[in-house]
Amino acid sequence: MATTTATITLASSDIADNNLSISNTATLTTAGTDTGITETTGLARKKVATSSNTVLLYSGAGIAADVTADKSAKVYIKNINDRGDGTKWVNILLATVEIGRLYGGDFMFFPWSGGGGKDIEFTCESTSGTDATETTLEYTVFYE
Amino acid sequence: MATTTATITLSSADLLSDNLSLSSTMNLYQHGTTATGLEQLNYHRALLPVDGDFDLIAESAALSEKANYVYIINKNTDVTDYVIISINSEPIGRLYAGDWLFMPWDCDLTHATADSSIEVLPKVHDIHIEYALFHSGETLPTSGD
Repeated sequence: MATTTATITLASSDIADNNLSISNTATLTTAGTDTGITETTGLARKKVATSSNTVLLYSGAGIAADVTADKSAKVYIKNINDRGDGTKWVNILLATVEIGRLYGGDFMFFPWSGGGGKDIEFTCESTSGTDATETTLEYTVFYE
Repeated sequence: MATTTATITLSSADLLSDNLSLSSTMNLYQHGTTATGLEQLNYHRALLPVDGDFDLIAESAALSEKANYVYIINKNTDVTDYVIISINSEPIGRLYAGDWLFMPWDCDLTHATADSSIEVLPKVHDIHIEYALFHSGETLPTSGD
């Protein structure tokens, strides 16, 4: 088995009266065990210049076919674009449900249940609506 | 304004035929700004009764159409214990013991029938959970007395 770790550190010296310093490391394992995850998509990069919705990870087929609710999968996505003035972002969706906005330079790391129809999709948006500015995402999936 | 950073490191010496080492740092900025940091934080620890379906982070008008970031960790140690994270009844995924997530959250009040609150469903045993919401404002409930 492999040993893969994910560490998060959240730090601020001025968001509260005392320093904020949260740090935790998760070892990525198969569902309900302490056996390490052994599969990954590897790090991938997707570039689009469209205001249309784009499927990033097509659930139930290809590399995502093995990702189902009773298994373990973790997804990392980063918006590689510059932040600019903070009025453009990528809206990340699970099927039709909006999860959140990745502004330029932002990343996210979350578990993914997957399964039929549970695609991870994104739409490039701005304060004016959908946006066709060229946008680049990097992503990877760890799964069993 | 405050300066808050989030850093992720993904690493493995044996998942691939070569070392995996990925690291990224981001600043938590307010929507529509070049570099103005989020100034407000909710940080909680809770014990969630098994099989209870809860709104962990509720919708709020002041959170809508803003930059919000959520951190959640399952602090249990039994590897079979997990909590299902959902939005609008759509399961995102399971956090097993020791797992964490960090993600942006779109508090979306524009859909009358949809609820963008972040929901949790603890399974197997009661779940100790810690979670944080970094945001730029929330609507507090009005005092009833």
